[in-house]
Amino acid sequence: MSLLSVENLSIGYQTKKGMLKAVDHIRFDLEEGDSLGFVGESGCGKTTIGMALMGLLPENAEILEGRIRFQGRDLVLLTEPQWRQVRGAKVAMIFQSAMNALNPVFPVDEQIKEAIVTHQPDISDADLSERMKQLFDLVDIPLARMKNYPHEYSGGMKQRAVIAMALACDPALIIADEPTTALDVIVQDQILREIKMVQQKTRTGLIFISHDIAVVASVCERICVMYAGQIVETGTRKEVFKSPRHPYTQTLLGSYLSLDNLKDIKVPDMKESPDQLTDTNECRFSGACPSCDRKCAGRSPEWIEISPTHQAFCCNPGLIRRGHGKN
Amino acid sequence: MLNKYFMLRFYKGWQIFIQNPLGKTGVIILGVFMVMAIASFFVPLIDPMYDPMTGIDPDIKLSTGPSLTHWLGTDNVGRDILAQLLEGAKVAFVVGLSAAFFSIVIGTLVGMIAGYAGGLLDASLMRLADIIMVLPSLVILLILASLFGQFNIWIIVFIIAIMRWPAVSRVIRSQTLSLKHRPFIEASRVAGASHVRIIFRHIMPNVLPLAFLYMTFRVTAAILVEAALSFLGFGDPSQVSWGMMLQWVWKSGHMFQAPYWLIPPGLCISLLTLAFYMLGRAMDEVLDPRLRKEGQSG
Amino acid sequence: MEKTDTKNRLLVELKQVTKAYAPKKRWFVRSSQPVLALNSIDLGIEHGEVFGLVGQSGSGKTTTGRLLAKLESPTAGEIYFDKTPISQLKGVRLKAYRSRVQMIFQDPYQSLNPHLSIAETVLEPLMVQGIGTRDTRMEKVVHTLDLVGLSPGEAFCHRYPHQLSGGQRQRVAIARAIVLEPQFIVADEPTSMLDATIAIQLFKLLQEIKETFGMTFLFITHNLAAARYMCDRIAVIHEGHIVEVNTAENIIRHPEHPYTKKLIKVQPGFKYGR
Repeated sequence: MSLLSVENLSIGYQTKKGMLKAVDHIRFDLEEGDSLGFVGESGCGKTTIGMALMGLLPENAEILEGRIRFQGRDLVLLTEPQWRQVRGAKVAMIFQSAMNALNPVFPVDEQIKEAIVTHQPDISDADLSERMKQLFDLVDIPLARMKNYPHEYSGGMKQRAVIAMALACDPALIIADEPTTALDVIVQDQILREIKMVQQKTRTGLIFISHDIAVVASVCERICVMYAGQIVETGTRKEVFKSPRHPYTQTLLGSYLSLDNLKDIKVPDMKESPDQLTDTNECRFSGACPSCDRKCAGRSPEWIEISPTHQAFCCNPGLIRRGHGKN
Repeated sequence: MLNKYFMLRFYKGWQIFIQNPLGKTGVIILGVFMVMAIASFFVPLIDPMYDPMTGIDPDIKLSTGPSLTHWLGTDNVGRDILAQLLEGAKVAFVVGLSAAFFSIVIGTLVGMIAGYAGGLLDASLMRLADIIMVLPSLVILLILASLFGQFNIWIIVFIIAIMRWPAVSRVIRSQTLSLKHRPFIEASRVAGASHVRIIFRHIMPNVLPLAFLYMTFRVTAAILVEAALSFLGFGDPSQVSWGMMLQWVWKSGHMFQAPYWLIPPGLCISLLTLAFYMLGRAMDEVLDPRLRKEGQSG
Repeated sequence: MEKTDTKNRLLVELKQVTKAYAPKKRWFVRSSQPVLALNSIDLGIEHGEVFGLVGQSGSGKTTTGRLLAKLESPTAGEIYFDKTPISQLKGVRLKAYRSRVQMIFQDPYQSLNPHLSIAETVLEPLMVQGIGTRDTRMEKVVHTLDLVGLSPGEAFCHRYPHQLSGGQRQRVAIARAIVLEPQFIVADEPTSMLDATIAIQLFKLLQEIKETFGMTFLFITHNLAAARYMCDRIAVIHEGHIVEVNTAENIIRHPEHPYTKKLIKVQPGFKYGR
């Protein structure tokens, strides 16, 4: 049985204009020790998924349907006190801004100790300090800096401390939501290595959320590409990046500037973001899709299998199976 | 300045505002007083004896209780109390709103200039504000009144405005400070816009909602100060106001004999200031979404 | 190209420019050292080129842009624009300078006044510079909006920033910057707040604008790949020092300074190629 299995999950936000479907019938599985990346542009629902997995959805959000099965229980049904048992202990989160995740008035080690003691009140002092040493070793913070205050840390060290805090209770699943977006590329590189290394060492399940495909590619084995609340393509890192099949994935990769693909840059046409207020079975990407033709109209997209691990959500099976389509 | 975006925000704000029970109650009470103030123009037309100042009922020489011709009774010289009460509502509005308006205009201007200019100008304007702020305004007014005798109503308005701008200017200044380095201000500078243009075109629309909020609180303060002055005998003798009515009750020795004369002006002062206070609190919620109840947001 | 030749064609030249931020003076507290945002840098930008300034946050790249837009003044050194020193410009001559140098800011959600309509925003530079009549100004605004891809321009005139997406807002900001047809535009991370697919469209737009008007650009970014895509020459700035200046191609292919090498090494890319 997989560690985490999300089935048919839909999450809506109550807005003045009606229910906005931020997450629309999502399904995915995560095996123990596996890493899964969610990539998509702002408003695609990737952060909402992370929040739902942590039980931290805002007040105006509502899980409309679906199940989140984690270690055999359905997280959707948990009450807030039950969530407090799970959050931090079994599912932990690495937030985007390390500065906000650390309390400036306490030393870093105090804060991490507190995270441990909250979930293991009976832990002995010796065990606690042993665990602290392990954690700081794991994230490469010198033990001498343990008792420092957050402001005495550099940006990268703060993010490491946040990772250590997430790992404190040895969770089965870590959710990292844009953990390096606020950092410089050099520090980002270090932190990404750190996350990957720690994940492989501890065999923790990892869900990594980012708008940056290259960042996701450097950490995760499997990738879900999201568009307008839906997963449009999923596959191993190699499959998604080497032979992207969904037109949106192709657009996303085609417009990504990296040092070695300048010649392949394709500038997509201007597009409006799709309306997520109305329910539709039709393809949400059709308005901006370079490969969309008359055949797409009126049809609903379906999951098309390219390989057992690689699937795309499209109305045009021929196009998906052929590969690069019109491009 | 009063552009479409402003109107849109105003409209949205109004919708939140009117959902708020405080705002709703405040608006209703204000509406009643507004009707009273407007009615004050028409009452003397019914019969000259209903003139609040000079209208004397020829049949009555003493203070009498409520009757059919005088619904709230008359004062000791036979003037109609209801007519005076209506006139008082008008005066309270005029004094409260104009004093608040002038103090807001001064406070907003000073705040924007101090915040935008910074440096020595900022420091000196703010020290001036500090000095005025710590002066006890009622005591100052009393001293001035005892020096110059009784005041014209507009001088009272003017003095209240002068005494009450500093708190506004502090708030507007800090708002301006945070706006000053926003990129849209800098973009305007890069385009070559003058300081005057930046202050009035870019900063002012962004601080005006806050100024309006402070105006409602200032109205409350101004009405109370005017009432206190009039009650203490330093009001404008040619004007009927609620404070003045209280003073007449007191002076003529009817304090404990004529509740029909004492209670209405006292109640009106309390209710009107309460209404403006409620208005301010409700506006606070419109302007500061953090105070808004969950569920209304989004 | 001969060295003397390039010297003559410089539009912008920074000579020994230093910018220090002095700590706030306080009574009874010994003041700490001033922070050097720029440490005596020399830089030359040629007519008609897109010059990239690449560095991490706090490297001084934004400060350089702000000095050129005359939002701040250097502590020491001099900046020459078209061979004229700009630090002493005041009044009419400063206004004239402003009509020749414009800036595009990083955050399109902060750089437009929410109270002004799109037309009013783009109109402002024309109005303060006193260019044209009421009618010709409006014509110019509509034309410029069309040019930046907000077409039909008339349809966007009466909208307000909150009705536009991030990408559209940044197009408005670009329209405001080019409406005076300046010679030089400082673009300070114009796409770092936007999604990749939107960013690439804006890059294309900036390139088209450059083709149309032949403007010179200073393109400030933290993204080396974006700089390479956009720029003719790139300078790498690190802790207030320019560590390396070269053509875009050479700086990626043959980096010389260890910091540049490090930057290239950590640039995220796809392990599996495409």
